[in-house]
Amino acid sequence: MIQYYFDWSVIWRNADRFAYALGLGLSLAVISLFIGSVIGIACAMARVYGARWLSWPVWLYVEFIRNTPLLLLVFFVYFGLPELDISYLDKTQSFILTLSLYAGAYMTEVFRAGLASIPKSYTEAAKAIGLRPWQRQRYVVLPVMFRITLPAFSNNLISLFKDTSLAAAIAIPELTFVARQINANTFRVMESWLAASALYLVTCYVIASALRRLERRYAAIR
Amino acid sequence: MDERKDEAGLVRRGFFGLSAVGAAAGAGLGLMAPAGATAQTLGKSRLQMIKERGRLLVGTGSTNPPWHFEDANGQLQGMDIDLARLLAKNLFDDPTKVEFVLQGSDARIPSLITDKVDIVVQWMTVTAGRAQQVEFTIPYYREGVSLLLLARGGKYKSFDELKSAGNTVTIGGMQNVFLEEWVRKALPQAKVDAFESPDATLQALNARRVDAYLADQSAARWLMQQTPGRFIDSGYGWMPNSYASAVKPGDPVWLNWVNTVYKEAMMGVDFDYFAASYKKWFGIELPTPKVGFPTEFA
Repeated sequence: MIQYYFDWSVIWRNADRFAYALGLGLSLAVISLFIGSVIGIACAMARVYGARWLSWPVWLYVEFIRNTPLLLLVFFVYFGLPELDISYLDKTQSFILTLSLYAGAYMTEVFRAGLASIPKSYTEAAKAIGLRPWQRQRYVVLPVMFRITLPAFSNNLISLFKDTSLAAAIAIPELTFVARQINANTFRVMESWLAASALYLVTCYVIASALRRLERRYAAIR
Repeated sequence: MDERKDEAGLVRRGFFGLSAVGAAAGAGLGLMAPAGATAQTLGKSRLQMIKERGRLLVGTGSTNPPWHFEDANGQLQGMDIDLARLLAKNLFDDPTKVEFVLQGSDARIPSLITDKVDIVVQWMTVTAGRAQQVEFTIPYYREGVSLLLLARGGKYKSFDELKSAGNTVTIGGMQNVFLEEWVRKALPQAKVDAFESPDATLQALNARRVDAYLADQSAARWLMQQTPGRFIDSGYGWMPNSYASAVKPGDPVWLNWVNTVYKEAMMGVDFDYFAASYKKWFGIELPTPKVGFPTEFA
């Protein structure tokens, strides 16, 4: 075993940067999940109810995103788009756009599965009591779908939060970036990466258990 | 004649060496050195050892253009490599009689101390601290940092424009300890974006994500040389530091010989070789040294 002397003071000295980085990473994940969910609902509807000309492009979008590494998408939006003279977005906006599109593809699949698993009797019952098509969606289908998809939703939030570490590659000062920077500045390799890992772990665990409670309250269709 | 001088040198340096080893007894490392090797390096100049061996051992790296890096065929090339070949040419009349020992920057001093190499030609910055462990030759380049700008399509064209733009400017650079400090020195208000690698930083400049790329001045020149017309230098360089070769301490004959070669490369008989190499790696034509005077008057 190599002798290594831990010096955690470097972490305490940079506690404010870590805190800011953690907040930034969480915001990126939450905002992207929100936008991604909107994309996801629209695309899932298009795939389930839409005509062929509508569902086919959605299929293409979902498969393209799901089969491309996220880092490449991040690079494409950040480095590639300005080369095509599309440079309205700053680095944070570029990343949110990328992560939202990425989340959107996954949420499309989640919601599609949710829609598919709603028992036919629900919509038939809604029809029987005279609800119009949009009312059926609004009051019956979507609420049930959200409950069904809640576990998948929380899984996605956690995995998106971990994916925000890729933002370090385009100089966004989130957790991985800060850990790397402290690493470069002080050579306290173990301390900075262990601190970052612990923060990822604890945050993900807290999100997971909070959402699990929520699931227990709402998720079941009884 | 030369040999007699060396005999005398042996005696004097031998005594000096002995007392030095004695003083270092507590350090341990000094005592570990085999006595035979010590006697040999003290007795005969490395210059003679190299002549007898028939090839020069040069410590260098392979990953830092334009100093020492591999071409498409895996052959080492660069400014450092050219200087090493110039030494071999002047030793053996054959620039190929050099063996490159590839090493990381952190191995530059240890490999000299342990006699793994005869000389280090590896973009070594001269510092007073290092000069206590090795002996530096005369410097062959003054390095610094400069700002690389896009020649076309960028917002700023010169250092003055960058400076007057204040905090609306973003400077990209490699993530390292000094990045922010160096940028602040020249542009106190600028924002700094740190990237993981030089290529990511360069792409950020290409994509106009950053307004300028803070690079080693030599790297900036190399990039301009590689893609003519694409980049320009902001015209301001700072953070000066000198690149020199280093040798193991205690061998004035060898050190002086290398210094002679370097000096005459920059100012004398090998100027054409040096200037051609300089042009190749930095894209700049060196003016011919003024002739007809002692150097002190030129």
